[in-house]
Parts: sequence; structure tokens; C-alpha cells
Amino acid sequence: MTTLPSQTSGVRLGLDRTKFGPEVRIPSFTGDKVLRNALLFVCGAVFVLPLLWLIEASIDAGATRRLQFPDLTLDHFVTVTQPDKMMALGNSLLISLVATFVATIPSILAGYAFSRHHIPVKGGVLMLILFLSGVPINIMIIPVYQILGSLNLLSLIPTGIFLGVTALPFELYIIKNAIDAIPLDLEEAARIERANTAQILWRVVIPLAMPGIAAAAIFGFVNTWGNFLAPLVLISASNEQPSPIKIFGFMSADIIRYGDIAAYSIVYSAPVVALYLLSSRIFRSGFVLGGAVR
Amino acid sequence: VARSDIVEQKKESGPMPRLDRRRYNWESAVLLLPTALLLGTLFLLPIGYAFYLGLTNLQLIGANAVHYRFTGLVNIWRLLRDAEFFHSLALTLYFVVGGGALASTVAGLVLAMLMERAIPSLRAAVGALAMLACILPPATVAVVWFAVSTAGGVIPWMLGMGQADLLYAQPMLVVSAANAWSLCGLSMLMFAAALKNIPSEMIEAAILENASARQRFWRIILPMIRPTIMTSVLMMTLLSFGNFTLVFLMTGGGPSGQTNILPVYSYVQGFTFHNLGYGALLGNVIVVLASLLGIAFVLGDRLGSRTAPAAKALALT
Repeated sequence: MTTLPSQTSGVRLGLDRTKFGPEVRIPSFTGDKVLRNALLFVCGAVFVLPLLWLIEASIDAGATRRLQFPDLTLDHFVTVTQPDKMMALGNSLLISLVATFVATIPSILAGYAFSRHHIPVKGGVLMLILFLSGVPINIMIIPVYQILGSLNLLSLIPTGIFLGVTALPFELYIIKNAIDAIPLDLEEAARIERANTAQILWRVVIPLAMPGIAAAAIFGFVNTWGNFLAPLVLISASNEQPSPIKIFGFMSADIIRYGDIAAYSIVYSAPVVALYLLSSRIFRSGFVLGGAVR
Repeated sequence: VARSDIVEQKKESGPMPRLDRRRYNWESAVLLLPTALLLGTLFLLPIGYAFYLGLTNLQLIGANAVHYRFTGLVNIWRLLRDAEFFHSLALTLYFVVGGGALASTVAGLVLAMLMERAIPSLRAAVGALAMLACILPPATVAVVWFAVSTAGGVIPWMLGMGQADLLYAQPMLVVSAANAWSLCGLSMLMFAAALKNIPSEMIEAAILENASARQRFWRIILPMIRPTIMTSVLMMTLLSFGNFTLVFLMTGGGPSGQTNILPVYSYVQGFTFHNLGYGALLGNVIVVLASLLGIAFVLGDRLGSRTAPAAKALALT
């Protein structure tokens, strides 16, 4: 197969221009190429300038909404690492970890059952789960507020469990697909060695499905880390509030301190970016089953 | 014993199950139990409960907070006479279909196509930035877009509008743009993969047939990436419906209700005006609307795809 580095260029196809004569139109492409790159550069600017402002404001003593040359300082980062702000980050971590466990462990068990067992109306159940993964979770806030409120559970851990459940359908889907990709022969070999289901799950399935499980877990974590409405409504104690509520506090202040809010946003976003980089590394290192099965 | 289990399992997954042996494994019930319990109590139950609460006079505080009752169609009658609801519905469609589904998908496709033949370093940089915008938490996106779109911010400056407060002048446009900005990295990724999968022979053949760039786009590329367009439109719609945080943090539904999309209106009715029952009903409208839009897109795709094979065949000949 010939790959075509520049699809608009007939010359690179190795066509004989004289043979095809005037029928093959070969316009000049330098102009086209410059235009393309210039347009992409403008797109890049649309992405980079807002982010540049975020970084600039976080290290600028006189930070405003304007993008300007910073009067360098680290004061904003000192301000946002005060105990109350750090506690909000700790709450974010706690609520996200709770949600990740609540979503991922049941997903592994159910994903295995859906992948390997015969289950009545499996197709219908999987369709329902796919549908659930698309339901906008904000619409469940009022009923969940009623339920948790009546049980006196308007606090951090129940909210984490609820947010975990909202991520469960999508996690289940990712993990089921990861388990589907594992050859059945490996499990059969383990069964011949008289391994039971728990051993097979722990020793064979989970290690082999790890990239998929990690991707699902990261989704669960990030999904909760970024959620704002659920903690706003479902957590009553102010010392249990996670970071997005602090950002809301910053933004609804009478005088918005742009430097502090930018620094806090960076600190708050860093774990998500790190997790994304980690997950892309997991996927790049790949998932090699070659040689495991003949 | 172990061997017969394996044989049994193999039969189960095969096309011809053995009818004389048990086909269900008791272990599947154990494995499915945690998921069933969690989804049942904290997902399906709340959705069902929301439909019930939507038809009650539940209040956040006061007498009706505890002793609320089923009021039948009273809330629906109120909904139909609520001018703010219809305004909010129109804004939601603008935000979800315009700023979400269409703008993000088109932006993602344009980015992917521009990147296809760009200078490698520029391509890598723009790709990484678009993905960064996509993975940032919604609260951060709200902070950034709030700052850059108000008076003196980067965007009015880029557009040569100087001191204009764009967020105040065009609130709906700005929040929709922020939403598309934060979503289009995902659709860019999807389109980049889809464009790579188009066999280069088809493009080469088209070039030999003297097809113009426009013809190649409409007759070959677009039909070939049609499934991806569909997936992208659906995903962007659902993600935009969920994007309460962005709008709420940037504008709070204002100024004077100009960005009062349904998720925000539902929250405001429930927790600011204390009408939890009516707020739940507005939430139910969102579920119905999301489902209807999803079905409409899928049906539209089915209808359109009748002509697609012809277009593909035409492109191939």
C-alpha cells in the first residue's frame, strides 16, 4: 500500500505527468500548505492563550484578567496551600477514591460475569447499562438529596458512593470490553489446574485486564474529582467540601482575586493532568498477550 | 469435574447450547450482586423517584418539606404556563445542539483535517493543547473562560474589541464557545483515528479521476467517517447536557436569565426557590429531551445512510 504523505500532490504518487497530460491537475501546493498551517496555528492560539493567562495570573503579583508580563511572585501558591484550601483538596481526594473503589470493584466482578457467563437477557441488560452511562447525572440530585437527607447521610462518604455509582455503568463497559479481549484458553488452562473462579479472577483476569481496569478507574476518579453539583447539594458540613466548592467561593467573592483563583485552579487540575499522562503511558506500553496463547 | 465444567462453558458460548445441562452458573449471581444493588438503589431508584417527586408539591423548607403529597398534573400544568421554562428549553437546545453537538463536532473535524497534513511539531502542539483543554476539570474551564471573556480579557482583545465585556454582552455565545472549547479535543481524537482509517487507495483513485478537493471531501471522506460523526454528535450532546458546572460557575444562569439552561433552572427552582418537586420535574424534562435527541440523531443517521452506500459506490467506481 502506498502511503500518501501529501494527498494533494500528484507528483509524489510517482505519476508520469507527461502520460496523464493535462488531465491530472497539479496545483501549486505551497500556498495551500502555508494556509493550512496558519489556520492550525490560529486554532492553537485559541487553545493556548486562555491557558497562558491561567499560568501568567498564577505567578503575577498584580494579576488581572489581562494577559500581561508577570511581576513574578509565588505568593498566590502560598495563599492557596493554606490549611483550609488543602483540606478541600484532601476532601476531593477522599471523595474521588471512595467513588473509584465503589465503581471499579463491582465493575470487575460484573464485567467478568457479563463477559464469560450465560446470563438471562444479557443483551437487554447491557443495553440498559449503556443507556444509564449516558444519563445526565445532575437530574438525580433532587431525589438523591431526598433519600440521603431522610437517612441523615448528607456528608462526604455517601456522596462519594453516589458519584461512584454514577460512573459504574461506563466503567463496567470498559472493563467488560477489556475482559472480552483476553483469550479464553488462559482461563481454561487455569481451570484444568483446578483454580476456582476467585483465583482465576485474581491471578489471571485482573492482571491481564489491568490496562482496561486502570482506564476505567481513572475515569471514575476524574468523574468525581470534577463534579461540582453533587458536593454542593449533598454535603452539608463546610469542612467536608471538596475543591470545586472552594473555586465557587473564590468566584462569587465581591472582589475576585485572579492570582489566587488561577493558582488554586492549577493545583486542583494538576492531578487530573497527571492521571491522563499516566493513562496514556499505560496504553502506549501496550497490552501484550502474544506468546501467551499458541 | 473441572474438565466437564470447561466443556460446559465452551458449549455455553457456542452456537448450540446443551439443553440437557444447567446453563446458568450460580456464581454469576454472586458476581453481579454488588453492581445490581448499587445500580438499583443509587441509580434506578433515584430516576424512578425523580419522576414521582416531579408530580408532588415537595418543598426544600417549610410545611411541604415533610408533609408533601402527590398533586397529579398540577406541576405539569404549571410547566406548560411557565414562560421561563420555554425560554430555558430554547436556550438548552441552543447550548446542547449548537454549542455542544454541532460546534464541537465541526471544530473537532476541522482540527483533525488541518492536523493531517500540518508540520509535525505544530500538529503535536495543537493536539496536546486540545487534549489538555478537554481533560481540565469543568470548574477550571469555567475559571479560565470567565477571566478571558470579561472586560480586558484575552478574547475581546484577540477580537479587537478592547474593553468590551463579552461575557456580559453575549453570555450564551461565550458559554457555548467555552463548552465547545472544552469538548472538541475528544472529537478531534475520534476524527483523527477515523481519517487515518480511510484507505489511501480511494483518495489516490479519486485524484487520478481528477476529483477536486471539495468532491473528495463530500463524496469520499464524509461518507467514510459518517459513523464517527454520529458517535461524536451523540457524545457531545450527552456531555453538554451534563455540563451544569461550566454555565453555573461562569454566569449562574444570568445575566437576567440569559444563560438559564434547563440544568441550571432545575437547580435554581429546587434549591434557590425551594420548589424541589418542580425542580425534579424540570430534571425529568432533561432526561426525556436527552433521550429524544439521541433517538432523533440515530433515526436521522439511518435515514441518511440509505443514500450513503450509493455515495460510497460512486466514490469507488
